[in-house]
Amino acid sequence: MWRFTAFEALLGPEDYNPDVTLPVHSSGAGRNAVARNARRSSRSRPAALKGRRGCERRAEGAMWGRLCGSGRILLLAGAARHCGRPHRTQKLFSTSSVLSATEDEPTAPTDSTTKVASKEGAAETPKQKLLKMIGDMKVEVTTKRKFQQLKEQEIKKQATNKQEGLHGGSSTFQNSAEDVQRSKPLNPELVQAASAVASSFPHNKEQAESELLAQLRRHEETTDKQRRGGTINICNVISEMTVKRQSPAQRGVRISNRISLEMDEDGQRIKPGRPSSHSDSGRSLKAGKRLNIFTKASPETENALKTVSSPTIWDLEFAKEIAAVTEQPPRNGFEEMIQWTKEGILWEFPIDNEAGMDDGAEFHEHIFLEKHLKDFPKQGPIRHFMELVICGLSKNPYLSVKQKIEHIEWFRNYFEEKKEFLQEI
Amino acid sequence: MAARRVGVSSWYRVLSLSRRCGRCSSTNTALGKTVENSEGAQEEIVLPRRKTWDKLAVLQTLASTVKRDPTAAHYMFHDDPYLMPKNSATARLFSLSKESGRNAAKYIIKEFPHFFDKILAEPNIPSLMPEICTPQIEGVSEEALRERINLRMVKASVDLFDQLLQAGTSISLETTNSLLDLLCFYGDGESTQEKESEEKEDLEESEVNASEQETPKRPPQRGSHPFASRWRENNNAERIFKIMPERNAHSYCTMIRGMVKHGASAKAYDMYTELLNDRHKADVHTFNALITAVPFLKDRFLERWELIKMFLNHMAQQEVQPNVQTFNAVLKTLRRCGGVGRSMAVPVIKEMEALEIEPSLATYDHLLSIFYRSADLASSGIISEVLDDVEKRSFTPQDPDDAKFFISAMQVCCDLKDIKLAYRLNKAVEKGDNWKFLDMDRLNSYWSRFFSLLCMMEQIDVVLKWYKEMSPSLFYPSPKNILDFLQALDAANHLEMIPSVWEDMKQLGFSKRRDLLEEVLSLMSRDQHPEEIQLAFAKCAEDIKTVHEQSGRDQASVEWTGSALGSVTVLFSRAGRTQDAWSMMERFQQINRIPTDLVMDEFLNCAKQTNSPDEAIKLVKLAASLGLPSSQKLKSRVEKEFKLSENQNARQKELRAAQGKSRH
Repeated sequence: MWRFTAFEALLGPEDYNPDVTLPVHSSGAGRNAVARNARRSSRSRPAALKGRRGCERRAEGAMWGRLCGSGRILLLAGAARHCGRPHRTQKLFSTSSVLSATEDEPTAPTDSTTKVASKEGAAETPKQKLLKMIGDMKVEVTTKRKFQQLKEQEIKKQATNKQEGLHGGSSTFQNSAEDVQRSKPLNPELVQAASAVASSFPHNKEQAESELLAQLRRHEETTDKQRRGGTINICNVISEMTVKRQSPAQRGVRISNRISLEMDEDGQRIKPGRPSSHSDSGRSLKAGKRLNIFTKASPETENALKTVSSPTIWDLEFAKEIAAVTEQPPRNGFEEMIQWTKEGILWEFPIDNEAGMDDGAEFHEHIFLEKHLKDFPKQGPIRHFMELVICGLSKNPYLSVKQKIEHIEWFRNYFEEKKEFLQEI
Repeated sequence: MAARRVGVSSWYRVLSLSRRCGRCSSTNTALGKTVENSEGAQEEIVLPRRKTWDKLAVLQTLASTVKRDPTAAHYMFHDDPYLMPKNSATARLFSLSKESGRNAAKYIIKEFPHFFDKILAEPNIPSLMPEICTPQIEGVSEEALRERINLRMVKASVDLFDQLLQAGTSISLETTNSLLDLLCFYGDGESTQEKESEEKEDLEESEVNASEQETPKRPPQRGSHPFASRWRENNNAERIFKIMPERNAHSYCTMIRGMVKHGASAKAYDMYTELLNDRHKADVHTFNALITAVPFLKDRFLERWELIKMFLNHMAQQEVQPNVQTFNAVLKTLRRCGGVGRSMAVPVIKEMEALEIEPSLATYDHLLSIFYRSADLASSGIISEVLDDVEKRSFTPQDPDDAKFFISAMQVCCDLKDIKLAYRLNKAVEKGDNWKFLDMDRLNSYWSRFFSLLCMMEQIDVVLKWYKEMSPSLFYPSPKNILDFLQALDAANHLEMIPSVWEDMKQLGFSKRRDLLEEVLSLMSRDQHPEEIQLAFAKCAEDIKTVHEQSGRDQASVEWTGSALGSVTVLFSRAGRTQDAWSMMERFQQINRIPTDLVMDEFLNCAKQTNSPDEAIKLVKLAASLGLPSSQKLKSRVEKEFKLSENQNARQKELRAAQGKSRH
């Protein structure tokens, strides 16, 4: 699998040529965008015919991507065929020196790769083609890997449906593309290109060449398989391709580069090694050391710290600010009533006889006043009179219970005083 | 029968809820006791003297039975059908105007209480009475000063303080400190009430000046208010602080907080050194303020971190226990420390864990922004760990930044294109009272991000379901959402839904957005569809045509573009509306555009289908007059496919002759 790391190194981490990218990249967002672009390009065939040749081929490639299930590689191959402009390649190689140290395959040591890169003249088109083709592949894989893994199943399903749908309309199209695909590994031009690349390696030329060719053949196999039945999961292919990702060291370099860039923003450069030591691959909230500055306070000291003092304006305003964070307008009438109740401008629910009575007495003490008539005669006009009195009192909301009892007391004393006269009568 | 059953079950729910609420209020402990007793032994049953209800229990129960209506706007807009918002901008405008109307009413009551003399109620409702905000204590005394401080009258307090000082009265430390609190909080500016009265004077002035020149001046004035509240050199707070005979820690602390709040970070740091020299201890709020000021004190990332660490160490030395805001302040500062922030954030979180301080949502918000600032850091590790934590807990607000979490988390989900994370996040939002952290603006941007992600990643049926569920009641789609939605429809091959989307667009007031119009038209005109759909599309196209041709007095109409015109023509042609299509064709000439070959072909097809050779000839004429290279081809096609009458033939010939002439 070293080929991918090798060519990724040549390409540099961020630098791929926008010209060679497929329409897939252009709107680049998610699974649906791919489907959409593919369909669009397949449908806009008349327009594409009129346009540039490259454009047409791109459309072809994209369409193949859809027809062949998840045949991402085909799509790339299609795109790769029209990329041979020298000036772009030069740009492509310009970043290679930084990351060339990432080689970990002994057969292709670092300096040789760089040499390939630097030696590339403007005229060596076959080699460039090959490099670019594989370079594209890597780009594709890295940018699309994520949602591929997520969504490959649906894509496959859709793609097969699509295949049926499009079969009739675009058979000639398909044939032409198919021809190209079939002939690809047998294409002497490519073999030539591969050997050209291999020849520029100082050692192990044969091995390099055969490995290159083997890889190309493998592409052919996978595409064939997928075209026939779509039985091979693209996920497997892609995961294989990306098994060899960057080594931790390489990533460290990358991250520290990024960090040092940020340092530049800050106006100062710091040795990249130091901050990046923490930011290594397995970043997680679970693992790591604590700062070890504070010690946990014991409950007693905590309580001791909570000194009671009147809230300052800072505290009041902070509380207000916090409350405002979750303040929501009422979502329905009841919530509005809740709000009003809290503001104190609505009768409190449940509405009962006790609203507004706050002398601490219960309603029955206000209403059932017979128990205060024990000292009065059990019958007769006085009893009758007193019953009328308590009836009136029980309906009076303006007197407190105490006042009512005092009122009854007054009558008791009064009749007590007048007892003699009454008995006389 | 079924209805009755539903009714019964809902009643059960009400009852059970009310029971729960009753327990929440839990003022009836006596009742609980009796139940226990009766279960234990046959003792006398003690009736509670009185059953106290939570005053909100009934209402809360009732409120919980009302569910959101997905087709309706928010409750606050129900008052006035004329003021139903159409899109997020109007929703914002209307809700703000409602609130400001309320504030205006309060202002009037407060300002002119003498107009409201019929305010006696039985029983009296104190919350409806105007607040007393004029000082009741006359004269020069410390009491009067304290009252003015409580009423937050900045200027009056300072004046009174000076008078007291001149009279030689000594003022207690406590009062002076609370005066300092007031001055530092408002940055020696005016508190809101006084600001209002100032603005009122402003207004009156401008009225007097009969103000055509004044009006453009006002907005910048208002904008300059925050600058006015910046810390000034030797302001009253500093002056009073200097002449204080004795100062305690509180005096220093409030000065530091005021300076940080009003952007005088360097001064705050100096004040902190003074505090240390005076052998006082700062409190936790002061340290929090100092930590938030760190980015303004140091430029280099590592130095910033060193300073934070120094403050934290000082806290430990002074035995000040940190709180959640302390760590939030640390993380907030680490947001501005680049790579150092990323490497130190985890130890900070670990420290919180070790101290058993529960993170608030703001903590997580800062974490996300530290780790996902650069969009290329495509690892979902941190956010899924954060979500693990968030799912486990329910949150109460603890930090003003808490509200930002859900939005930034959704943004991260969008950046990562991770729909599963987004679903998890959405679950967390719906849990408990978490939804309250999203106010109206935030809710809108949260959902519009979520919706864009759905359009991008989900199957179309799911997208449609969400769209129906949330569209007017939770959020108003933005133009970008509509664009995403159209693209999702396209990807799923559901273009027949476009007319209904167009209806929604009109409803939302997006019918004049050129980008949307172009997208709708290009999607509709791209492929040939069954006749029924074509007719619906043509109707849509007619709508769009009227949008272009409306000569609204208030708004400028949308200009035709060549592609829009072409698409509309194609749509009319495909629906067999030859006359309409021809009128569109004529418009090409009016706006100096050239129809594409595709448009002319479609038109010719239409003319052929409806058997109207006249239109075909007109087209050839048009092409010829525009000098198009395709006119020759069109002409031969017309000759081949149409049976032309004598007259028409003659016209054809004329045309050819004219062409020949022009060529020579």
